[in-house]
Amino acid sequence: MNSAPASTEETSGPGVVALALGVYAIWLRELKRAARDRGQLIGGISRPLLWVLILGIGLNPYFRGEVYGQVRFVIPFTYLQFIFPAVIALNIMYTSVQSAVSLIWDREFGFLREVLVSPMPRVLVLLGKVLGGATVAMLHGSLVLILARFADVPIYPASIGYGLLLMFLLSFGLTSLGVLIASRVRSFEGFGVFSNAVILPLYFLSSSIFPLDPALSRAQAAIIYPEWLVFLIRINPITYAVDALRGNFIGFNQFDPNLGPMVLVAMCVIFFALAYLDFRRG
Amino acid sequence: MMDAPAVELQDIGKRYGRTVALEGVTFTVERGEVFALLGPNGAGKTTLLHILCTILPPDSGTAKILGYDVVRQPTRARRKLGVVFQQSSLDTRLTVEENLDFHGIVYGVPRALRRKRIAELLDAVELTDRRSALVQTLSAGMRRRLEIARALVHDARILVMDEPTVGLDARSRESMWRYVDGLRAERGLTVIVTTHYVEEVESSDKVCIIDQGRIIALDSPERLKAMHGHEYIRLVPVDPQAGAAIAERFPDLVTTVPDGLLIRIPDAEFRRNFLAEYGNSIRQLSIDRQSLESVFLAITGRQLTAPTAPTRGTSK
Repeated sequence: MNSAPASTEETSGPGVVALALGVYAIWLRELKRAARDRGQLIGGISRPLLWVLILGIGLNPYFRGEVYGQVRFVIPFTYLQFIFPAVIALNIMYTSVQSAVSLIWDREFGFLREVLVSPMPRVLVLLGKVLGGATVAMLHGSLVLILARFADVPIYPASIGYGLLLMFLLSFGLTSLGVLIASRVRSFEGFGVFSNAVILPLYFLSSSIFPLDPALSRAQAAIIYPEWLVFLIRINPITYAVDALRGNFIGFNQFDPNLGPMVLVAMCVIFFALAYLDFRRG
Repeated sequence: MMDAPAVELQDIGKRYGRTVALEGVTFTVERGEVFALLGPNGAGKTTLLHILCTILPPDSGTAKILGYDVVRQPTRARRKLGVVFQQSSLDTRLTVEENLDFHGIVYGVPRALRRKRIAELLDAVELTDRRSALVQTLSAGMRRRLEIARALVHDARILVMDEPTVGLDARSRESMWRYVDGLRAERGLTVIVTTHYVEEVESSDKVCIIDQGRIIALDSPERLKAMHGHEYIRLVPVDPQAGAAIAERFPDLVTTVPDGLLIRIPDAEFRRNFLAEYGNSIRQLSIDRQSLESVFLAITGRQLTAPTAPTRGTSK
């Protein structure tokens, strides 16, 4: 954009600092709004409770191997531990998409205009928006960590640090994706459409609630998943995000451990670029 | 650049599909003027303002804000503009002060200056005691005032307002104008405002009457009134027959309006004779002095505010 030359007349020219502060203001607005949105907060807390405490504990006994009649865990973790990182991803998905949907609100209720007639270049408006949404989503993702002890997931400072980084990358990529979708969906169809058409399919197809290789739980060794299902899981980028989180929190990877972070970074770059192309047109 | 006029429009045109929203719009607004765009709904006023605000590119022509082209130098142009949109663009989930502060940061106003301006503006629009209230708890009039204050947190030279008084009661409308006048005197602002309330533009420096995307008159209110204005008798007949009889008698002078008749007074003699003759057929009567409403009527043959003619343009 040709829109960031220093002004000679205004004492507060749009220097790098002023532009950075502008991004900060947009980021801060997202955080304030999220903190005041009680519905979103309730969702962010109840979702992990449901998935970890109810589904996780409920299915825990079925995720095991039987060796010569003896019931024991063949694999070095329980079902609870297995889905725990995936629930982090789920919480992030919901929150990211929700904050992207707020873009539709902004458009509907005019606030977007206030930002678009400001001297901020559009790419920075979008950056602030996505960073804000991503920060909120990352915080919601880390809410799940509170349940770590119930799921027997050990938490170390190092795993939290790297975990937050992975969560942030996933949040950033997904918020960009959400913006990309939101700028095509002009009407207020509501969040239900998003959650059913985007979030849940991506979540279920990310090897989040079952391992890609059924042989992991010995009892199912005879079963092989149909090719179409394996294919869908393999092309879903969320699969690799979940794998990276799993590698970090429980030390288990189904793919090359480097693949996860690479896919996450690629998601961020590609989705943000596409979102920008759409957003620029307005 | 230093002595460029506040706004310079040259032959602006815009279409939405086959609908012509604006055609050949050319005018100049000098610094410090209050410039009113008057016209019925759908005349193209909002489209024109959106082009000025750099959020809608024109199909043809050029528009300059203090010498900056809105298409080629949008960021510089925007820095000079304070915009109040027709639909509120406040963030209702933020407080009054947070909305102002957000605006200040995004426009790059340094913190100390921001604090000072915000305090002054809150005072000017009498919202100081609501500074920590969420915007969603404010009344429509308060929100308007807040939006005007917000538009001036940065160093805006031109205040652009699109139908700022729609949805406000008469008292809020009046007080809103009082605030604008106060701020204008203080800062030497240029004000560009669209409206379809004629009484609001009587005190402006220039009135530009737009209809169906074209400028049909552009001058000071006094001169427009002197050129085109007439006095009118506005009356409600006792029954429809009486009304029909009057309309038949003076086909050239009578315009039917929703609640009765509007009769142009060609000369002083006419009024006396008319009242002597038809006094008994009239239930209610008032005399409209020369007003811009009558100017609009004289030029277009239509009422400004009444939905008499189907509007053709769209006010996107």
